[in-house]
Formats: sequence, structure tokens, C-alpha cells
Amino acid sequence: MSIWLVFILAALGTYAIRISGIALFHNEERIPPHVRRALRMIGPAAMGAIVGNSLLLDHGSWRPFGAWHIAALVALAFAAWKRNLGLTLLAGAAAFAALLALGV
Amino acid sequence: MTSRAAFLDGARDIAGLVPGVAVFGLSFGALIRARGIDPIAGATSSLIVGAGAGQTAAVEVVVAGGTVAIAVLSALIVNARFALYSAALAPMFGRFSRPWRWGLAYLISDQTVGLYGRGQERWTTPALQQFYILGITAPMRTAWVGGTAAGILLGPVVPGAWQIGVIVPLMFIALAIPGIRGLPELVAAVTGVVAVVALKDLPLGLNIVAAALLGMTAGLLVRTRGTTPAGAGLAQDAPAPAAPRDSADSA
Repeated sequence: MSIWLVFILAALGTYAIRISGIALFHNEERIPPHVRRALRMIGPAAMGAIVGNSLLLDHGSWRPFGAWHIAALVALAFAAWKRNLGLTLLAGAAAFAALLALGV
Repeated sequence: MTSRAAFLDGARDIAGLVPGVAVFGLSFGALIRARGIDPIAGATSSLIVGAGAGQTAAVEVVVAGGTVAIAVLSALIVNARFALYSAALAPMFGRFSRPWRWGLAYLISDQTVGLYGRGQERWTTPALQQFYILGITAPMRTAWVGGTAAGILLGPVVPGAWQIGVIVPLMFIALAIPGIRGLPELVAAVTGVVAVVALKDLPLGLNIVAAALLGMTAGLLVRTRGTTPAGAGLAQDAPAPAAPRDSADSA
């Protein structure tokens, strides 16, 4: 089962990442500055890529503008306003449900 | 002052963030069912990987027909930020006993880094700090696993017409926005969005990995001299005390 392999390898790799700084560095100042900056940039970059891939594309082609995009804009506004994970998810999901109910 | 009090103090500090993680877990569990992933494997992933963004990235690559290697790579790229948290926690964790150090490292999350400084101030000995850190991490992982399991159980109830996949962009918007504290992070994120679409014809879900690396590069190219706030992008819910005074960053 390849999905088990994916999760087990991801678990091992993620643990290695989690222990890396504790094992290698006495504190954050020991990380070379450019490595630190790269680590800081990769989160936003990777998450942006996943948002683009899941929102703007649908099985590899453009997703027609509609409820998905509007719900994402609502979530974007909530995220910028409240910076709260659960609230942003609920707001986006509620907007999406309302749009579906309205037949958008 | 007991270890129990330190644990409860940490649990109180994190309590406000637990519902959000439970909702995220519910969504991930429902997604697992909607994507046709083995439910036991999906629930196990929340326990052993314990990083929702990385798990979702891997699932999306698998669903897109990617190989095991690309799925794992996507998850690890999304989780690479934990290396920073780990380094930030190193001075505190270095004083813990080995079993605690290695055990608590397994529970590190975005929120741990936002709170550990409070525990360090209130609890003076490493033995008590260990329990404080357990107090802020164990409830999060429990809520994450519990939420996932509940989402998996409820998943079949969700009609296909609800298009549960919309949760993926919503989750990542919720996760990414609090980390964008300056122009470099913004450029990295926007480049990631644009690049993943521009590279949409790459096979096997490789466009996510490629776009993440391009976004990182673009963020690094932005001049940040003297403008990047300390600890930018580290914590989601609180200003990170983890990475203060990183003057080297803007050098």
C-alpha cells in the first residue's frame, strides 16, 4: 500500500526535521543566515503553491470562476483580519455552503 | 509548585487554539474519505506525522497521481519550517533529559514556538518546563488526531455535492496568512501561486514542489535590509519570542 509508505516516510522525515535544530544547533543564531532565511521563505512559498494548485486548477486545467474562488476570498479576508485558523476555516466553509445553497 | 500545575498551566495557555486545530482535523478527516484514502492510514498519519499541512500536501500529490517520492518530498518541503522551530527551542530543550527532549520534539507544532517563552518565564526548572511544554503540545496533537478520526467517521455522511475538496485551499489560506509578516514572505507566497499554475502541465504533482522552490527563491531575492521584523513567519498566533534580534538576517 503506497499510501502507508508515503505516511511512514513523511513521519520519519518530519521527525528528523523536528529534532534537527535541537540536535545540531545550540540555538537559532548558529544557523547560517541564508539557511535561516530560506527556511523562513519555504513555508509561505509551499503553502501558496498548494493554494494555487487546489483553488485555481481542477485536475490540471483551469477551474471556472465560482463559489470556490469567492469562498477563498472570504477566507483570505478572515485570515488577514483575525489570523485565527479555526475561524478562517469556518468562515470560508460557511461562505461556500451559502454559495452552494444559492446555486452559485 | 508541581509538575501537574506546570502541565495544567500549559494546557490553559493553549486551550484557545485547540478548537481551531480540531476543526482542521475534522476537515482533514473528511478530505481523507472524499479522496478515497485508506481511513486507517489517514488517521494514523495524524498521529505519526502530526503536521496537517504536510499531510494534506502529500494526499494532494497522491490524488494527482504522483509517486511516493514526490508525495513525501512535498510533505517534507511544507514541513521544513519545523527545522527553524527546532533550532529556536534548542536552548530550552537542551536542558531537558534525553527521553523528554526526544519525546517533546515529536510534538513540536507551529503554536509551540509562540508559547514556550511564557513557560520559560513562569517555570524555572527544566523538570517543570518539560511538563509545561507537554501541556501546550499534547492537547494539540490529541485534538488533531481526535478531529481527524471524527472527520473520517463523519466523512461518508458528507454528500459528494458538498465538494469537500474546497477545504484544501481554505486550510492553506488559514495556515499561510498569519505567517506572512513582510514583503519577502508575500513575494514567496504569490510566486508560489503563480508558478504552480504556470507549471500546471508538469507531471506527477511536480508543479507543487517546483513552485515551492521558485517561491522560496523569489522571497530570498527580495531585499529586506532592516525591514524584516524579528521572528517573521515563525509563529501563527503570537509574535514569536523564538527568534529575536536576528540582525544577521538583514545583513
